[in-house]
Amino acid sequence: MNNKNKHPFKTPEGYFDSFQDKLMAQLSDDHVAIPKDNAFKVPDNYFENFNEKLTKKLSEDTKVIPLFPIKKVIAIAASVAAIALVFFGYQWNNVEDVNFSDLANTDIEAYFENTEFDLTSYEIAEVLPFTDAEYSNMLSLPIDNENILDYLSDNINDFEELNLQENE
Amino acid sequence: MMNKPQEPLIAEETLVQELKTQNTQAKAFEVLVSTYKERLYWQIRGIVLNHDDADDVLQNTFIKIYKNIDGFKGDSQLFSWMYRIATNEALSFIKQRAKIQGLNDVDYQEKLVANLQSDVYFEGDEIQLKLQKAIATLPEKQKLVFNMKYFQELKYEQISEILETSVGGLKASYHLAVKKVEQFLKED
Repeated sequence: MNNKNKHPFKTPEGYFDSFQDKLMAQLSDDHVAIPKDNAFKVPDNYFENFNEKLTKKLSEDTKVIPLFPIKKVIAIAASVAAIALVFFGYQWNNVEDVNFSDLANTDIEAYFENTEFDLTSYEIAEVLPFTDAEYSNMLSLPIDNENILDYLSDNINDFEELNLQENE
Repeated sequence: MMNKPQEPLIAEETLVQELKTQNTQAKAFEVLVSTYKERLYWQIRGIVLNHDDADDVLQNTFIKIYKNIDGFKGDSQLFSWMYRIATNEALSFIKQRAKIQGLNDVDYQEKLVANLQSDVYFEGDEIQLKLQKAIATLPEKQKLVFNMKYFQELKYEQISEILETSVGGLKASYHLAVKKVEQFLKED
């Protein structure tokens, strides 16, 4: 292929000599090194102590109620029944129906925390509107410091946005 | 960064049998946890980013494995099955957290990365932080593939078994993810 003599095109002087260098430079510009080091750390001895922690959690999670001999069960049941009879007999007229307010707040919170809802907080707010009374009640109730700290730790960005020092 | 290529380290078939047999179960579970805790931890940490959350999810993962070992059919490798449980647990964890805080997935991811700046267990420099921001912008599948391939150096065949996706699809996802991450890192 003696192209040199067949076409009228020319290249700048030294073009092919420097082509490779130019190409490699272009490629390295294009290629960004993605860091591969592990920036994530774990507390000291975390993995060493993990088995022990897991075993403890597992035993709490799968605690089996021991079986008592049947006679013992009957005796206990009879005593409980007798006590219950006396107690409820005494309280008979005072027994009220269980209603929503009897649920412990922690149970309700745990339910909301552990149950998957297909509702956003806005959608929940639409079906559970605040009444004026509840709203003023919420404003007048003192808020525990613990709850405030929990809120701030979950929403630390919002907290920083307040920029307290600059606005003082 | 996180782990070397993943090969099953123990004779899985024997271990599964021991896990399903009552008198060998406790010992076998101990071996299982010791062998896989670090690998599963890094898989989870790559998704939830925060150590305490990763610890919670890791414990729940092993509890789920312990309770469901009888249901392990052996259709896939034990470690792929465990990786799948760990991945699903971590993904549900962050989805649940996002929902509780009334954020969509993207906003929640951004928040997780922003929290890294004050995380005592994150010692990354600016470029590391930017890398995490870049990963946070990836769609879920690309994010998983990127973490598993780039950091944990899993083989495509292994990722395919864990995520139940074709190797071809994974290669495409990984390629796209790398391009996006590079592009993000190039931007100021």
